Amino acid sequence: MALAVPPANDRKRVKVYELKNGDWFDRGTGFCTGSLVNDEGRIYVQSEDEPNRTLLETKVSKDDGYQKQQGMSPRFTKRLQPDTLIVWTEASVTDMALSFQEAEGCAAIWDFVSEVQSRQQALSGPDDGLSDDVIDNLHPIMLPPPDLSNLAEVENMMRAANSTPAGREALSKFVVGADYITKLVPLVEMAENSESLADLHRLCNIMKTLILLNDTAIIEYVVTDDVVLGVVGALEYDPDFPTHKANHRQYLKDESRFKEVVKIEDEGIRKKIHFTYRLQYLKDVVLARILDDPTFSVLNSLIFFHQVDIVQHLQSNVIFLKELFSIFSPQVTDQQRKKDAVLFIQQCCAIAKSLQANSRAQLYQNFITGGLFGVITFALRHQDAAVRVAGTDILVALIDHDALMMRSQIFKALNEKTKPLTDTLIELLLVEVDLGVKAQMADAIKVLLDPGANTASMETLGRANNEYLARIQRATPMVPQTDTFIQKFYEESARKLFQPLKDLEGRERMDNLTVQEVSLYSHLVEVLSFFLRQHTPRSRLFVLSEDYASRVAQLMSCPEKHLKLSALKYFRVVFSLHEEHLNRQIMQNKLFTNILNIVYETMPRDNLLNSACLELFEYIKRESVRQLIDHIVENHRDRLKTITYVDTFQSLILRYEQLHHPEEYGLTTQDIEGPAAAAAAAAAAAAAANRGVINGGGQRWQAGLKDIDAEEEAYFNGSDDEPDEEAAAAAAASVAAAGQQPGMPNGAAGAPLRPLVNYPDDEDDAMDMLPEIDGVPSAAAQQQQQQRQRQHRRGETPVPQTPPPERLSEKRRREEDEDEDDELGRLSGQAKRRSSTGSAGGVGGNGVRLRRKGTGGGGSGGGGAGPKKIAISLAVKSQGVAGAGTEMEGGAGEDGGGGREGDGD
Amino acid sequence: MSDLDKAIALLRACRLIPENQVRELCYKARELLIEEGNVVGVDAPVTICGDIHGQFHDLMELFRVGGDVPDTNYLFMGDFVDRGFYSLESFLLLLCLKVRYPDRITLIRGNHESRQITTVYGFYDECLRKYGSANVWRYCCEVFDYLALGALVSGAATNLEPTSATLADTFVDTDDSQSSTPATDYADIDIEVLNANNEILSRYRRRDRDPLMSSSPVRGGMSGSNGAPRAAGAAGTGATADSGGSASNDGGAVLCVHGGLSPLIDTIDKIRLLDRKQEVPHEGAMCDLLWSDPDEIDGWGLSPRGAGFLFGADIVKCFNHRNDLSLIARAHQLVMEGFKEMFDATIVTVWSAPNYCYRCGNVAAILELAEDGSNAGFARSNGDAGRSRGLPMPMPMPMPGIGPGGLQGQGQGQGQGQGGGGLIPRQMDIGHRMAPGRRYRVFEAAPQDSRGMPAKKPVADYFL
Repeated sequence: MALAVPPANDRKRVKVYELKNGDWFDRGTGFCTGSLVNDEGRIYVQSEDEPNRTLLETKVSKDDGYQKQQGMSPRFTKRLQPDTLIVWTEASVTDMALSFQEAEGCAAIWDFVSEVQSRQQALSGPDDGLSDDVIDNLHPIMLPPPDLSNLAEVENMMRAANSTPAGREALSKFVVGADYITKLVPLVEMAENSESLADLHRLCNIMKTLILLNDTAIIEYVVTDDVVLGVVGALEYDPDFPTHKANHRQYLKDESRFKEVVKIEDEGIRKKIHFTYRLQYLKDVVLARILDDPTFSVLNSLIFFHQVDIVQHLQSNVIFLKELFSIFSPQVTDQQRKKDAVLFIQQCCAIAKSLQANSRAQLYQNFITGGLFGVITFALRHQDAAVRVAGTDILVALIDHDALMMRSQIFKALNEKTKPLTDTLIELLLVEVDLGVKAQMADAIKVLLDPGANTASMETLGRANNEYLARIQRATPMVPQTDTFIQKFYEESARKLFQPLKDLEGRERMDNLTVQEVSLYSHLVEVLSFFLRQHTPRSRLFVLSEDYASRVAQLMSCPEKHLKLSALKYFRVVFSLHEEHLNRQIMQNKLFTNILNIVYETMPRDNLLNSACLELFEYIKRESVRQLIDHIVENHRDRLKTITYVDTFQSLILRYEQLHHPEEYGLTTQDIEGPAAAAAAAAAAAAAANRGVINGGGQRWQAGLKDIDAEEEAYFNGSDDEPDEEAAAAAAASVAAAGQQPGMPNGAAGAPLRPLVNYPDDEDDAMDMLPEIDGVPSAAAQQQQQQRQRQHRRGETPVPQTPPPERLSEKRRREEDEDEDDELGRLSGQAKRRSSTGSAGGVGGNGVRLRRKGTGGGGSGGGGAGPKKIAISLAVKSQGVAGAGTEMEGGAGEDGGGGREGDGD
Repeated sequence: MSDLDKAIALLRACRLIPENQVRELCYKARELLIEEGNVVGVDAPVTICGDIHGQFHDLMELFRVGGDVPDTNYLFMGDFVDRGFYSLESFLLLLCLKVRYPDRITLIRGNHESRQITTVYGFYDECLRKYGSANVWRYCCEVFDYLALGALVSGAATNLEPTSATLADTFVDTDDSQSSTPATDYADIDIEVLNANNEILSRYRRRDRDPLMSSSPVRGGMSGSNGAPRAAGAAGTGATADSGGSASNDGGAVLCVHGGLSPLIDTIDKIRLLDRKQEVPHEGAMCDLLWSDPDEIDGWGLSPRGAGFLFGADIVKCFNHRNDLSLIARAHQLVMEGFKEMFDATIVTVWSAPNYCYRCGNVAAILELAEDGSNAGFARSNGDAGRSRGLPMPMPMPMPGIGPGGLQGQGQGQGQGQGGGGLIPRQMDIGHRMAPGRRYRVFEAAPQDSRGMPAKKPVADYFL
């Protein structure tokens, strides 16, 4: 087969060298040719003196590092010109070199080698990644066989080699090839026997260097049985801590740390388990202080792959599983063994979290077949809190893995008239004495009943607060089965769960709650708040029918302030739902009295409880929840009047007056509705939509952490009225960040912005697009606009209870601190408001409309900062889309760019 | 010896207290913290500290350098946990001290005091390792939710009070060094930097706003040994370099937050209207206070962190003016020199984790603000003042690429033309409050031998 490029057939005069014992051995001089037969390239050198004698015949290999370079050894007789040398390593691990007389000859053979290699690579398909770094390496390194006398020399040679990538590469290669670590290990004991601290320090440095070479083969090797103790032994003598000696060997020698609940027959797997443990120990203890990023990740991935292998093996091992689950049979009396078995399963589940979905599913399936649910029930009822913790852990892992499956299990139990897991959990929560476990069980109940908890992606967010996870998936429609499940829950179990709240009815004194009760009540109130947000509309009916609001309000008169706070926050959640009936129940029962009591108790002190109260009233005021404002002011006006240490309550009264007699205050409807604020909200929303993209493109991440209320708002609107999921999600995203528009010039920048009530605003829409033709809107257009709005608003209820679905992003906000007299501000606000529909159109159109909005704001002279910010959003939007993945890391952990070195946090 | 004192003694020895004690401690702390406002009022004198990040032994070093609790009044600006290997010991000790001496130590929340972040950056794993379950992590996270968001230091003296400190060999005066003695006239000293051995490394005199004088203190003034950073470029001078000087009227208060400002917060009173008892949200005012960073930009910019914002000098000056602040102290960013003043000394970053992550090679600093009354009888020497005014100082080298608005490439520039004439405050027209005298104590990581090898706790038992 002919070569496309002329083959290197004309003869090149060359010297052949072989590396022997660190020296280049001259094998003779001859003529070099290259030939290609059946896609296999070979290089021949025929002796100059005896043409029949072949000095060299070598196959051009795909991987071995061929290198073209200048002279490398002083032993070459004449000074070599640049690029007359080709160096490579034979398959037999011999280093070879061809020294050409002419640079051209060298180049020709080099081209031949490259050509052959590229052919081979083309044939063998995609690059296997191994040959990437062959180009610029390999000055082969030889270290002398180590003994106590030459450690200093070895250390120095290593340090020198370690300073360049090529040197590191060569060093790794040598260390692996020469089995160097095995030779080093005995020296540790020798040095210890001769009490030579200097040598021990050198050995430690050498070991550190070797491990930090970050070579997988080396790292895997150092944890093998034969050498691990020697290696960590050397690492016990860290010269950075000359007066200390660690006791790694002692720790790793201790076999009792390995709990073999069921004998693992497979020797390879047993070994892997020990390797994994040692790798972890290396990572966490021995090397913790000095690990660099690459080594850290190599250790992590080694650990991960081992764990995958181990779990895969165990879960497919029928005999093993059978024996494992038989431990829980009544015949077995060894309680410690049962406990260990639970902990073993817990550890399996923890590892399973990082497995791929299908292998994980298989694992759980096999576990469930074996009797996992029985184990959970056993664990949850165990007298040892540690086992209960493990049981809850397993349960939560299971729910995270597949909530639907869990629910179908519970259905099955219901149908079979056996006690479902939910009821077990509820019973246990009510009696649990360990406050930590109690908290965990409350969380488990939330996760189990979280309608969003059925996607596999959930667990990627980890064990963070389940509430966040829950909110994330709110936009997804409920699976019918989930819905039935929740319905069942409210029919069968919810009353049991909240019975203690119910029992508060008629209780005279609230100042004698036990620690257990206090803890239980705060969990119950939190769970109830969670349900209210999650289970529309069932939880609302449930709360209404049982009048839980009054019970929660009762808790506000207990002396435990954190419980007070939980109760208060429950009401804050209710108000954020804008649910007329819930509000009405609160008003009928005069529960605002209880809330105002807290204000009275705490004022004028500046503390958390007081701030939470203020936030609640600010919210009502800002949202202009007329139903509530009317009630509060009409029933508590005198009380409100006396609260003067902040202006929240006076402005609440003022808002009431404005709502009822706008004309007396000379206000336009805009002042009442807060137009500028609304505009700011929309603008911010749009900006935030972009931001969302930046933060990882995920509604998820964004939703995960954003302001509760904004999202809620969007959720409820979305799920109740909005058929178009995507629009709802987009709106949610945009509204979410309503609070985040930086640089909004007037007032808007100043207030703690919160989400807004939906507001029907058809006319604005129609108008919006008209006057803003890329630039400063004409004054006439503004006036016209203003007028139309006045007319429009007059005949309208300020806060409709069921907003039309298509107005999702038209969030309105009242901005108290807006400078009412600032005409410029008003104009600019208005300009923004007019363009606020930009975000209503969905995320897609934001870019263009945003710009327009920015222009409007700037043009009116008040929005200097506004447009700038908008411009930022524009610019990053496109970036954000492209780099969503990376940016998310930054968002998630502030570490994306800085790495472990941390550019600061 | 009360249980609490016992716990403190244990923790000081870097040993853990039992889980039930942790729970009790957290409950007590909760009761205490719920009484604090979102912005805690703190009276000078106070020592302000930045990130700790679980570097327990360095926290001990901090107490050695800054004085022990309760002798010194401390304010920690968050990020007690994560990264380092002793988050639990560090945070629990601080919490114990808080419960024991509530008026002598103030803890505010950092962005790492959050469930989400701690699950990623080590604290969660540490709790799991050291206590075998996540319970302690839950208790601590509950406490995090109660931590204040900021603190307002009032009554800080505009002038430094003299110390008994001696001059370090490498001492550099911004004025003329031959005149300097430890007992020099402090009336004019704006900043004094000391090392861990209580030796004065450098002093910067207060400058007035004569443009000729608005220049850099000596660069590289902190080079040298004795625990001083050897990094080129003096600590904080990168910032003080473009300082217009903190001149004019009386001292205002000092706001301390972990991260920085928020576009949603224009007055400190607005912070009061937040319900802080929640996980740190991903957006909104509370998030910004914990996540934002100052930067050499105009106005606000997107933060590369993905949360919070960047904010420029104009924002800081406007905020300080409006709220009658002389200085904002914040943490959140690693600074190699331990502290860094920016924007004409209107904001300072304080970083208290030396050799961050056991490898960054940075020094740490704490900021001492003296009590106002202390300089009441202190006569200002006109001679010194005149002299300091008369000497020209080297002009600051502009940082390459970071001129005013140098970072606007991030898209901010686009809006500028249109937005002209906006609300960006007219710079320098605001007579800002005279910054308090700042005494920085710079220290290095605790000597390694004093603390054994830092390592995580190994996994105790293993099944797999």
